[in-house]
Amino acid sequence: MSTLPFTKNERVNLSTAEVLLACGDAEGLNILTEMFAGFGVHTPRRCRTIAEAKSSVHERTLNLLVVDSALSDGEGYDFIRWLRRCDVAPTCYAPVILVTGHTKPTQIFRGRDSGANLVVRKPVPSLVMMQRIMWLLKDSRPFVTSPNYFGPDRRVKALGPPGGHKGRRHDDLSAEVGTASTPNLGQDEIDSLFSPKGAK
Amino acid sequence: MSSTHNRHVRVFAVDNQLARIVTEQGGRSVADAVKAADARVEALRGASVAALTGKAEQLAMAAATSRASSEPTFDAIYEISNAIYGVASTFQLKSLAQAAFSLCDIADSFRSGETVNWPAIDVHVDGIRLLSSLGEGAGAAGEEVLTGLRRVRDRVLGTATPGIATPPSGA
Repeated sequence: MSTLPFTKNERVNLSTAEVLLACGDAEGLNILTEMFAGFGVHTPRRCRTIAEAKSSVHERTLNLLVVDSALSDGEGYDFIRWLRRCDVAPTCYAPVILVTGHTKPTQIFRGRDSGANLVVRKPVPSLVMMQRIMWLLKDSRPFVTSPNYFGPDRRVKALGPPGGHKGRRHDDLSAEVGTASTPNLGQDEIDSLFSPKGAK
Repeated sequence: MSSTHNRHVRVFAVDNQLARIVTEQGGRSVADAVKAADARVEALRGASVAALTGKAEQLAMAAATSRASSEPTFDAIYEISNAIYGVASTFQLKSLAQAAFSLCDIADSFRSGETVNWPAIDVHVDGIRLLSSLGEGAGAAGEEVLTGLRRVRDRVLGTATPGIATPPSGA
Protein backbone atom coordinates (compact mmCIF):
# COMPACT_ATOMS: atom_id res chain seq x y z
CA MET A 1 0.00 0.00 0.00
CA SER A 2 2.92 2.32 -0.54
CA THR A 3 1.51 3.96 -3.66
CA LEU A 4 -1.53 6.15 -3.44
CA PRO A 5 -4.66 4.16 -4.28
CA PHE A 6 -6.34 7.28 -5.67
CA THR A 7 -5.73 9.99 -8.18
CA LYS A 8 -5.36 13.66 -7.38
CA ASN A 9 -8.83 14.51 -8.67
CA GLU A 10 -10.66 11.46 -7.36
CA ARG A 11 -13.63 12.41 -5.21
CA VAL A 12 -15.05 10.97 -2.01
CA ASN A 13 -18.47 11.60 -0.61
CA LEU A 14 -18.65 10.53 3.00
CA SER A 15 -21.39 13.03 3.87
CA THR A 16 -24.08 10.37 4.10
CA ALA A 17 -21.88 7.58 5.45
CA GLU A 18 -22.72 6.33 8.93
CA VAL A 19 -19.36 6.06 10.68
CA LEU A 20 -18.63 4.76 14.17
CA LEU A 21 -15.46 6.01 15.87
CA ALA A 22 -14.47 4.18 19.05
CA CYS A 23 -11.52 5.04 21.27
CA GLY A 24 -11.15 4.77 25.03
CA ASP A 25 -9.04 7.90 25.31
CA ALA A 26 -10.86 11.25 25.11
CA GLU A 27 -8.08 13.01 23.20
CA GLY A 28 -7.64 10.07 20.85
CA LEU A 29 -11.37 10.11 20.10
CA ASN A 30 -11.27 13.86 19.44
CA ILE A 31 -8.40 13.36 16.98
CA LEU A 32 -10.35 10.71 15.07
CA THR A 33 -13.50 12.84 15.11
CA GLU A 34 -11.76 15.89 13.66
CA MET A 35 -9.99 13.78 11.05
CA PHE A 36 -13.25 12.30 9.83
CA ALA A 37 -14.97 15.70 9.96
CA GLY A 38 -12.26 16.84 7.56
CA PHE A 39 -13.07 13.87 5.35
CA GLY A 40 -16.67 15.12 5.20
CA VAL A 41 -18.32 12.78 7.70
CA HIS A 42 -21.28 14.39 9.47
CA THR A 43 -22.05 13.46 13.08
CA PRO A 44 -20.18 10.19 13.49
CA ARG A 45 -21.13 7.92 16.38
CA ARG A 46 -18.50 8.60 19.04
CA CYS A 47 -17.95 5.80 21.54
CA ARG A 48 -15.51 5.33 24.38
CA THR A 49 -16.80 1.99 25.61
CA ILE A 50 -17.75 -1.38 24.17
CA ALA A 51 -21.22 -0.88 25.65
CA GLU A 52 -21.73 2.38 23.73
CA ALA A 53 -20.41 0.83 20.53
CA LYS A 54 -22.76 -2.13 20.86
CA SER A 55 -25.76 0.10 21.34
CA SER A 56 -24.79 2.16 18.27
CA VAL A 57 -24.77 -1.05 16.22
CA HIS A 58 -28.35 -1.72 17.31
CA GLU A 59 -29.49 1.86 16.74
CA ARG A 60 -28.47 2.42 13.12
CA THR A 61 -26.93 0.84 10.06
CA LEU A 62 -23.22 1.60 10.04
CA ASN A 63 -21.10 1.76 6.89
CA LEU A 64 -17.63 2.03 8.43
CA LEU A 65 -16.23 1.41 11.90
CA VAL A 66 -12.90 2.72 13.14
CA VAL A 67 -12.06 1.02 16.43
CA ASP A 68 -9.10 1.62 18.73
CA SER A 69 -7.69 -1.49 20.38
CA ALA A 70 -8.04 0.25 23.77
CA LEU A 71 -11.59 1.10 24.86
CA SER A 72 -12.53 2.28 28.35
CA ASP A 73 -14.26 -0.93 29.38
CA GLY A 74 -12.31 -3.49 27.39
CA GLU A 75 -10.43 -4.18 24.20
CA GLY A 76 -11.44 -3.24 20.67
CA TYR A 77 -10.76 -6.82 19.58
CA ASP A 78 -13.62 -8.05 21.77
CA PHE A 79 -16.04 -5.53 20.29
CA ILE A 80 -15.08 -6.49 16.73
CA ARG A 81 -15.47 -10.18 17.53
CA TRP A 82 -18.95 -9.46 18.95
CA LEU A 83 -19.86 -7.29 15.95
CA ARG A 84 -19.06 -10.02 13.46
CA ARG A 85 -21.28 -12.51 15.29
CA CYS A 86 -24.12 -10.18 16.33
CA ASP A 87 -26.40 -10.95 13.36
CA VAL A 88 -27.30 -7.26 12.94
CA ALA A 89 -27.10 -7.14 9.14
CA PRO A 90 -25.73 -5.39 7.22
CA THR A 91 -23.66 -3.70 9.97
CA CYS A 92 -22.07 -6.99 11.03
CA TYR A 93 -20.45 -7.14 7.54
CA ALA A 94 -19.35 -3.48 7.49
CA PRO A 95 -15.64 -2.71 7.06
CA VAL A 96 -13.69 -2.26 10.28
CA ILE A 97 -10.36 -0.47 10.64
CA LEU A 98 -8.59 -1.39 13.89
CA VAL A 99 -6.21 1.27 15.22
CA THR A 100 -3.46 0.18 17.59
CA GLY A 101 -0.94 2.10 19.67
CA HIS A 102 1.80 0.00 21.28
CA THR A 103 1.76 -2.91 18.85
CA LYS A 104 3.29 -6.35 19.07
CA PRO A 105 3.01 -8.80 16.17
CA THR A 106 0.59 -10.87 18.24
CA GLN A 107 -1.77 -7.90 18.37
CA ILE A 108 -1.80 -7.63 14.57
CA PHE A 109 -2.83 -11.28 14.40
CA ARG A 110 -5.43 -10.74 17.12
CA GLY A 111 -6.88 -7.87 15.13
CA ARG A 112 -7.00 -9.90 11.96
CA ASP A 113 -8.50 -12.90 13.74
CA SER A 114 -11.14 -10.82 15.49
CA GLY A 115 -12.54 -9.90 12.06
CA ALA A 116 -11.02 -6.47 11.33
CA ASN A 117 -10.56 -5.65 7.64
CA LEU A 118 -7.40 -3.65 8.29
CA VAL A 119 -5.07 -2.92 11.19
CA VAL A 120 -3.20 0.39 11.31
CA ARG A 121 -0.80 1.46 14.01
CA LYS A 122 -0.39 4.93 15.44
CA PRO A 123 0.51 7.53 14.53
CA VAL A 124 -2.12 7.49 11.80
CA PRO A 125 -1.81 10.59 9.59
CA SER A 126 -4.92 11.65 7.67
CA LEU A 127 -3.35 10.54 4.39
CA VAL A 128 -2.77 7.03 5.71
CA MET A 129 -6.33 6.77 7.02
CA MET A 130 -7.70 7.97 3.68
CA GLN A 131 -5.51 5.46 1.84
CA ARG A 132 -6.98 2.68 3.93
CA ILE A 133 -10.53 3.88 3.29
CA MET A 134 -9.86 3.99 -0.45
CA TRP A 135 -8.40 0.51 -0.27
CA LEU A 136 -11.57 -0.72 1.47
CA LEU A 137 -13.68 0.62 -1.39
CA LYS A 138 -11.92 -1.79 -3.71
CA ASP A 139 -11.86 -4.66 -1.24
CA SER A 140 -13.85 -7.51 -2.76
CA ARG A 141 -12.83 -10.22 -0.33
CA PRO A 142 -15.67 -12.59 0.52
CA PHE A 143 -16.95 -12.98 4.06
CA VAL A 144 -16.20 -16.15 5.99
CA THR A 145 -18.18 -17.63 8.85
CA SER A 146 -16.87 -20.66 10.68
CA PRO A 147 -16.88 -21.98 14.24
CA ASN A 148 -13.66 -20.08 15.02
CA TYR A 149 -13.79 -17.07 12.73
CA PHE A 150 -16.30 -14.55 11.41
CA GLY A 151 -15.01 -11.83 9.12
CA PRO A 152 -13.50 -10.94 5.77
CA ASP A 153 -11.42 -13.63 4.13
CA ARG A 154 -8.01 -13.40 5.79
CA ARG A 155 -6.31 -14.35 2.54
CA VAL A 156 -5.82 -10.94 0.94
CA LYS A 157 -3.98 -12.34 -2.08
CA ALA A 158 -5.40 -15.23 -4.12
CA LEU A 159 -2.34 -17.47 -4.19
CA GLY A 160 -4.23 -20.75 -3.96
CA PRO A 161 -4.03 -23.21 -1.09
CA PRO A 162 -0.69 -23.91 0.60
CA GLY A 163 1.59 -26.36 -1.24
CA GLY A 164 0.68 -29.97 -0.72
CA HIS A 165 -2.85 -29.13 0.48
CA LYS A 166 -6.05 -29.58 -1.47
CA GLY A 167 -7.61 -26.41 -0.09
CA ARG A 168 -10.78 -25.97 1.93
CA ARG A 169 -12.79 -23.79 -0.47
CA HIS A 170 -14.94 -25.05 -3.33
CA ASP A 171 -13.13 -22.66 -5.69
CA ASP A 172 -9.60 -23.44 -4.54
CA LEU A 173 -7.43 -24.43 -7.47
CA SER A 174 -4.08 -26.15 -7.15
CA ALA A 175 -1.05 -24.22 -8.40
CA GLU A 176 0.30 -27.42 -9.91
CA VAL A 177 -0.55 -28.07 -13.55
CA GLY A 178 -1.17 -31.70 -14.34
CA THR A 179 -0.71 -33.52 -17.65
CA ALA A 180 -3.29 -32.91 -20.36
CA SER A 181 -6.20 -35.33 -20.29
CA THR A 182 -7.61 -34.39 -23.75
CA PRO A 183 -5.94 -33.75 -27.15
CA ASN A 184 -4.51 -30.28 -27.84
CA LEU A 185 -6.80 -27.81 -29.62
CA GLY A 186 -6.09 -27.21 -33.29
CA GLN A 187 -5.19 -23.67 -34.43
CA ASP A 188 -8.62 -23.25 -36.08
CA GLU A 189 -10.31 -24.14 -32.84
CA ILE A 190 -8.13 -21.65 -30.94
CA ASP A 191 -8.88 -18.93 -33.54
CA SER A 192 -12.58 -19.59 -33.24
CA LEU A 193 -12.43 -18.88 -29.52
CA PHE A 194 -11.01 -15.40 -30.21
CA SER A 195 -13.27 -14.50 -33.16
CA PRO A 196 -16.18 -16.91 -33.18
CA LYS A 197 -18.10 -15.03 -35.91
CA GLY A 198 -15.21 -15.22 -38.34
CA ALA A 199 -14.58 -18.89 -37.78
CA LYS A 200 -15.76 -21.39 -40.29
CA MET B 1 -23.88 -15.81 -4.18
CA SER B 2 -23.05 -17.89 -1.20
CA SER B 3 -21.23 -21.15 -1.16
CA THR B 4 -21.06 -23.79 1.49
CA HIS B 5 -17.99 -25.96 1.60
CA ASN B 6 -19.09 -27.92 4.61
CA ARG B 7 -21.83 -27.43 7.14
CA HIS B 8 -19.63 -25.39 9.46
CA VAL B 9 -17.95 -22.99 7.05
CA ARG B 10 -19.68 -20.46 4.78
CA VAL B 11 -17.90 -18.21 2.30
CA PHE B 12 -20.06 -15.60 0.63
CA ALA B 13 -19.94 -12.23 -1.08
CA VAL B 14 -21.14 -9.14 0.78
CA ASP B 15 -22.38 -5.88 -0.66
CA ASN B 16 -19.75 -3.12 -0.32
CA GLN B 17 -22.16 -0.42 0.86
CA LEU B 18 -19.34 1.95 1.73
CA ALA B 19 -18.13 1.94 -1.88
CA ARG B 20 -21.62 2.75 -3.12
CA ILE B 21 -22.02 5.68 -0.72
CA VAL B 22 -18.57 7.17 -1.18
CA THR B 23 -18.85 7.25 -4.97
CA GLU B 24 -22.17 9.15 -4.93
CA GLN B 25 -22.26 12.56 -6.60
CA GLY B 26 -20.85 15.46 -4.62
CA GLY B 27 -18.33 15.24 -1.84
CA ARG B 28 -14.82 16.60 -2.19
CA SER B 29 -11.57 15.67 -3.84
CA VAL B 30 -9.45 13.21 -1.88
CA ALA B 31 -6.63 15.74 -1.73
CA ASP B 32 -8.96 18.39 -0.26
CA ALA B 33 -10.38 15.90 2.24
CA VAL B 34 -6.91 14.98 3.50
CA LYS B 35 -5.91 18.64 3.70
CA ALA B 36 -9.04 19.54 5.65
CA ALA B 37 -8.50 16.59 8.00
CA ASP B 38 -4.88 17.62 8.63
CA ALA B 39 -5.97 21.18 9.42
CA ARG B 40 -8.68 20.04 11.84
CA VAL B 41 -6.35 17.63 13.66
CA GLU B 42 -3.67 20.31 13.87
CA ALA B 43 -6.20 22.63 15.50
CA LEU B 44 -6.36 20.16 18.39
CA ARG B 45 -2.63 20.37 19.05
CA GLY B 46 -2.75 22.88 21.91
CA ALA B 47 -5.49 21.18 23.91
CA SER B 48 -4.13 17.70 23.27
CA VAL B 49 -0.56 18.52 24.27
CA ALA B 50 -1.85 20.28 27.39
CA ALA B 51 -3.86 17.17 28.30
CA LEU B 52 -0.69 15.08 28.29
CA THR B 53 0.41 16.65 31.58
CA GLY B 54 -2.77 15.39 33.21
CA LYS B 55 -2.27 11.94 31.74
CA ALA B 56 1.28 11.86 33.11
CA GLU B 57 -0.09 12.62 36.57
CA GLN B 58 -2.68 9.84 36.17
CA LEU B 59 0.18 7.55 35.24
CA ALA B 60 2.10 8.46 38.40
CA MET B 61 -1.00 7.75 40.49
CA ALA B 62 -1.62 4.42 38.77
CA ALA B 63 1.99 3.39 39.40
CA ALA B 64 1.79 4.41 43.07
CA THR B 65 -1.50 2.54 43.54
CA SER B 66 -0.16 -0.57 41.89
CA ARG B 67 3.04 -0.49 43.91
CA ALA B 68 1.10 -0.17 47.18
CA SER B 69 -1.05 -3.16 46.33
CA SER B 70 -0.25 -6.63 47.63
CA GLU B 71 -1.03 -7.94 44.14
CA PRO B 72 0.22 -5.25 41.77
CA THR B 73 -1.27 -5.11 38.27
CA PHE B 74 0.15 -3.29 35.29
CA ASP B 75 -2.93 -2.85 33.14
CA ALA B 76 -3.61 0.76 34.17
CA ILE B 77 0.04 1.73 33.70
CA TYR B 78 0.03 0.11 30.27
CA GLU B 79 -3.25 1.71 29.20
CA ILE B 80 -2.31 5.23 30.26
CA SER B 81 1.14 5.06 28.69
CA ASN B 82 -0.47 3.68 25.53
CA ALA B 83 -2.85 6.66 25.46
CA ILE B 84 0.08 9.05 25.96
CA TYR B 85 1.89 7.37 23.08
CA GLY B 86 -1.14 7.79 20.82
CA VAL B 87 -1.48 11.53 21.38
CA ALA B 88 2.25 12.33 21.55
CA SER B 89 3.01 10.44 18.33
CA THR B 90 0.16 12.18 16.49
CA PHE B 91 1.66 15.59 17.31
CA GLN B 92 5.28 14.53 16.65
CA LEU B 93 6.41 14.76 20.30
CA LYS B 94 9.06 12.19 19.52
CA SER B 95 10.80 11.87 22.89
CA LEU B 96 7.56 11.64 24.86
CA ALA B 97 6.05 9.17 22.39
CA GLN B 98 9.07 6.89 22.55
CA ALA B 99 9.29 7.11 26.35
CA ALA B 100 5.63 6.09 26.61
CA PHE B 101 6.19 3.29 24.12
CA SER B 102 9.13 2.06 26.18
CA LEU B 103 6.98 2.01 29.33
CA CYS B 104 4.33 0.02 27.40
CA ASP B 105 7.04 -2.52 26.56
CA ILE B 106 8.11 -3.04 30.14
CA ALA B 107 4.61 -2.89 31.69
CA ASP B 108 3.48 -5.45 29.13
CA SER B 109 6.36 -7.76 29.97
CA PHE B 110 5.70 -7.46 33.72
CA ARG B 111 2.03 -8.29 33.30
CA SER B 112 3.07 -11.25 31.17
CA GLY B 113 5.02 -12.72 34.07
CA GLU B 114 8.52 -11.24 33.82
CA THR B 115 10.21 -10.32 37.11
CA VAL B 116 8.92 -6.91 38.16
CA ASN B 117 11.47 -4.12 38.36
CA TRP B 118 9.87 -1.14 40.10
CA PRO B 119 12.79 1.25 39.64
CA ALA B 120 12.39 0.80 35.87
CA ILE B 121 8.73 1.80 36.14
CA ASP B 122 9.59 4.75 38.41
CA VAL B 123 12.26 6.18 36.14
CA HIS B 124 9.91 5.94 33.15
CA VAL B 125 7.08 7.63 35.01
CA ASP B 126 9.39 10.43 36.10
CA GLY B 127 10.75 10.80 32.58
CA ILE B 128 7.28 10.94 31.08
CA ARG B 129 6.16 13.55 33.61
CA LEU B 130 9.18 15.68 32.76
CA LEU B 131 8.77 15.29 29.01
CA SER B 132 5.05 16.07 29.15
CA SER B 133 5.73 19.24 31.11
CA LEU B 134 8.36 20.28 28.56
CA GLY B 135 5.86 19.62 25.75
CA GLU B 136 7.08 20.71 22.35
CA GLY B 137 10.09 22.42 23.88
CA ALA B 138 11.75 19.18 25.00
CA GLY B 139 14.50 19.40 22.36
CA ALA B 140 17.95 18.10 23.35
CA ALA B 141 16.92 17.61 26.98
CA GLY B 142 14.18 15.29 25.77
CA GLU B 143 16.66 13.28 23.76
CA GLU B 144 18.89 12.91 26.83
CA VAL B 145 16.01 11.66 28.96
CA LEU B 146 15.06 9.24 26.21
CA THR B 147 18.60 7.88 25.93
CA GLY B 148 18.55 7.08 29.65
CA LEU B 149 15.16 5.39 29.41
CA ARG B 150 16.29 3.30 26.45
CA ARG B 151 19.22 2.02 28.53
CA VAL B 152 16.88 1.09 31.38
CA ARG B 153 14.47 -0.64 29.05
CA ASP B 154 17.23 -2.58 27.34
CA ARG B 155 18.68 -3.69 30.64
CA VAL B 156 15.30 -4.86 31.94
CA LEU B 157 14.13 -6.56 28.77
CA GLY B 158 17.37 -7.35 26.98
CA THR B 159 18.24 -5.48 23.80
CA ALA B 160 17.44 -8.37 21.52
CA THR B 161 14.24 -9.44 23.24
CA PRO B 162 12.18 -11.07 20.53
CA GLY B 163 8.60 -9.95 20.04
CA ILE B 164 9.10 -6.52 21.56
CA ALA B 165 7.75 -3.99 19.13
CA THR B 166 9.46 -0.79 18.12
CA PRO B 167 7.53 2.40 17.49
CA PRO B 168 7.02 3.47 13.89
CA SER B 169 9.88 5.64 12.67
CA GLY B 170 7.69 8.74 12.61
CA ALA B 171 6.94 8.52 16.34
